[in-house]
Amino acid sequence: MNISSVLIRSSLWAAGLLLAWCGSTNAATSQATDDQATLLGKSSIVFSGTVSQLAATSFADVPKSAQTIVVRVDSIMKKPPAVSLKSGDSVTVEVKDASVFQEGAHATFYTDGWIFGSGVAVKELGHVLGQPSEPVPAPGVGKNAPGQAEGQLSDQELKERMNESDFVVVGRVTDVHKWNAPKKSGSPLHVTEHDPNWHEAVVEIQSVLKGGQVKGKRVVVRFPNQNDVAWVHSPRFTKNQRGIFCLNRDKSTGAPMTKLGSQEVSVYTCLGHGDALPLSEEARVRALLKNQ
Amino acid sequence: MKAVASELRFPGFAVFAALFALLLSPLLAPALKKKAGLLFARGQAPAPSSIKVIDLIPASLSGESNQDSEPFLAIQKDNPQVMVASAFTPNPFSMNGNAPVYVSQDGGVSWALNAITPVQRMTCDITHAMATGESHPRGDLHAGTLDCSSGVMLDESESVDVASSATMNVQSVRGNVDQPFVRALGVSSGDRIYVGVNDFNQANGQTATIDVSVDGGATYKSVPIERRKTAGQDGPSVRPAVANDGTVYAAFFGWRKFDGKTATSDVVVVRDDAAATGANPFQALTDPSDKQPGRVVVKNASIPWSNAPALGQERIGSTLSIAVDPNKSSVVYVGWADKGDKGDIYTLHVRNSTDRGVTWSKADLPGTTIHNATNVALAFANNGVVGFLYQQLSGGRWVTHLVQSRDAFSSSEDVVLATVPADQPAEQFLPYLGDYDYLLSVGSEFRGVFCANNTPDFADFPHGVTFQRAADFGARTLNDGAGNPVPISIDPFYFSVPVIP
Repeated sequence: MNISSVLIRSSLWAAGLLLAWCGSTNAATSQATDDQATLLGKSSIVFSGTVSQLAATSFADVPKSAQTIVVRVDSIMKKPPAVSLKSGDSVTVEVKDASVFQEGAHATFYTDGWIFGSGVAVKELGHVLGQPSEPVPAPGVGKNAPGQAEGQLSDQELKERMNESDFVVVGRVTDVHKWNAPKKSGSPLHVTEHDPNWHEAVVEIQSVLKGGQVKGKRVVVRFPNQNDVAWVHSPRFTKNQRGIFCLNRDKSTGAPMTKLGSQEVSVYTCLGHGDALPLSEEARVRALLKNQ
Repeated sequence: MKAVASELRFPGFAVFAALFALLLSPLLAPALKKKAGLLFARGQAPAPSSIKVIDLIPASLSGESNQDSEPFLAIQKDNPQVMVASAFTPNPFSMNGNAPVYVSQDGGVSWALNAITPVQRMTCDITHAMATGESHPRGDLHAGTLDCSSGVMLDESESVDVASSATMNVQSVRGNVDQPFVRALGVSSGDRIYVGVNDFNQANGQTATIDVSVDGGATYKSVPIERRKTAGQDGPSVRPAVANDGTVYAAFFGWRKFDGKTATSDVVVVRDDAAATGANPFQALTDPSDKQPGRVVVKNASIPWSNAPALGQERIGSTLSIAVDPNKSSVVYVGWADKGDKGDIYTLHVRNSTDRGVTWSKADLPGTTIHNATNVALAFANNGVVGFLYQQLSGGRWVTHLVQSRDAFSSSEDVVLATVPADQPAEQFLPYLGDYDYLLSVGSEFRGVFCANNTPDFADFPHGVTFQRAADFGARTLNDGAGNPVPISIDPFYFSVPVIP
C-alpha cells in the first residue's frame, strides 16, 4: 500500500467516524465538545472498546492506580504499524477522570502510547462514551495497515514541524555538493562518529508556502550526508529532486552565510524527519497551513 | 569403597593418560570449548541450559523492524529484578514523543518499553547506571544521552522510578561532547556518578573527560583526564570503572596523530583513590616515562577509523573497555581494538594489572587476541572471575562470545551466545550492531546485552533464545502478532550466564 492510498483511506475513515458520531444516539459525554478532528490528529492510538475493569491494569509492567482501567478492544481506528493490537485484546488506559467510567461501558478512546510490553498501555487524550452507531473499522486493521504509514508524519506532527520552520517552500534541487567548513586558525579537530559530512543543495524556489519572499528565488540548504544514527532521520537531497521543504536558518554548521553566485546569502538547514516531502503532499501541507 | 576399588583396577597407562590430560586441560579447554561452541551453533537443537538469551522487543511491538542497535544495560543492585536496557529504538507511537528504554521488573524474563528519556523520539547515544544510594526501589537510573534533533546535546538525567511515566529529570546539559558512558556507585550519602565523555570544550584538544557527580547528579564537575599533547583531540571512548572502596579508574584513547583513516593512539589509564572527590582527581597514577598523570598501557597503537562499514556492515574505530574487581581494587583489566596483525581489519586485546594500574601485562592475556572482532566489554563477578564479551566477524557471521576466566585467562570457558548472518539485514544506519555492547555481574550471574539479526532460528542461538515478539521458529519468520510478515532486523538481546565457580 502506498502512502497516498493510506492517506486517502485514513481520510475516508476519519470522515466516516465523524459522520458516525453525528448520527450516534449515544454520543453524549464530557469530551463531546472537544474538536474531535483535532483529537484524532493528536492521537497515535484510537480504538473503541468495553471497560472490563476499573483501577486495574492488563499486564504486570504497568503501575496500577485509580486512573488505570482495562478496556477490551472492539475495533481499532488508528495505530502505528509497529504496534501489535487487535480486536479482543485488553488495553490498559490511564484515564483523566476514572469516575466517568463503569464496568461494561462502551467508549471510543483517543490516546497516546505509554508502555509496550506483553500488552499495550496508553494514556487518554480524550474519549467519547457510547458505541458509534456504525462502527467504522480502520482501513486494513487485522492486516498490515495502521491508518498511517511507517515513518509518515501525522497531521499534528507535520503542523508542529511547519510551525517551527522559518520557511516552507516548494522547489527543485538544482545542485548538490560537499561543503567543507572554513578552516579557522587553531580550530580544534572534531572527529566523531556523528560527523554530519555536510553537503549543500541549491534549491530553486517555485513557491513559498510559509515565510514570505526569498531573495533571488534560490536558497542554499545544508544537510548531513552521513549514515550515522544522529542523522538517520534527516532528509538527503539529490539533483533534480522536487518537493516541499521545511527550512530553518542555519544554527548548526557555524557558518550561516555563504556565497551563491556573487551574492552573500543566508544558509538554511532541513534536518528533521519529514522536512522534505514529496510534491504529492502539497495539498495536505497547504490545508494544514491554512488551518493554522 | 567399591567405587574406589574399581578405580584402582585401571591399567597404569590409563591412569597416566588421565593425569596427562588433566595437566593439559587448562591449555586445551579454551580451544576445545571455542571449537565446540561454533560447531554446536549450527543445525542442532539447543540443550536445556541455565544460560538465558532474550530478545528485548516486546510482544506488543511485534510489527517493528527498526535497527535497534547499540545496547546498554543497568541493574538495580539492591533489587536486581529491576533492570533498564536501551538501544537505538525510536518512540513507537510519536515522532515528537520521548525516546524509550526497556524496563524489566522480573529479572529479565520480560521487558517493556517505557518512553521516559528526555530526548525526543530516539537518542543518538545512551548509557546509564542504577545506583542504590537514594533508596528508590525502581531507581535511581542515571543516564547520559545525546540528543541529535538539532545539533548534538548531552543530557545527564535521572529517574527515581523507571516504571513510572515521568520523563527523566535533566540535571545537566551541554553541547559539543561525544559518547557519554555512565557508571555509578551508591553509597550511604547518595549516588556517585561518573560519566566518561569526549568533551570538545576542553582546552588544547585534551578532550578525554570524566563528568563527576558526588551528589546524585545535582551537580556535575567536568574533569579533564588527558595531560599529554594530542592530535587535536582524544578518541571518542572514555570509560570509567568504579570499585566498592571508592577507587575509580578510567581508560581512554590518547590520540597522538590522526590522518583521517588511522589514529596513532596511546591506551591510557588514570586512577583516583578517593572517589574523585578531591580537588585534583584522577592523578594517582603516573607514567614512568614522563611522570604525567595517566599510565600508558600501550603506546602508539595503530587504530583504524572508519565512519563507513569496515568490519562486515559495522564501522570501527573506538572500542574500549575497563573493569575493576569491585572487591579488590588493585586488579584492573583493559580491553581495546587496533589494526592488529597484517590482514586483520580490527583486533581485540586484553591486558591486566594487579598493582592498581602501576604495571601492566606486557602482552595480551592468553587467548584474548581476537581477530576481526569488536565491542569488547569486560566485567568482574563478585568471586573475581572476569567476563570478556565481544562480537567477532567469522565465516560471514557475527558471533557473540562471553569468555570467563578465574586466572587471567590462563584457562577460560567460552560461551557462544549467538552466531547470526552478518550480511542480513542491510544496515539502515551506523552503527550496525553498536559502537558498544555491555556486560555486568550480579550475584552469581553475568548479565549483559548485545545486538544481532533477529531471525527466529534456534541454530543461531546455541544455548536457546526466548522471543517476546511474535515469531515462528518453524518457519524462521517474524510476524506482527496478527499473522502478517515482518522483515528481519537488528534487535537487542539480553543474556544471563552463570558465573563459573
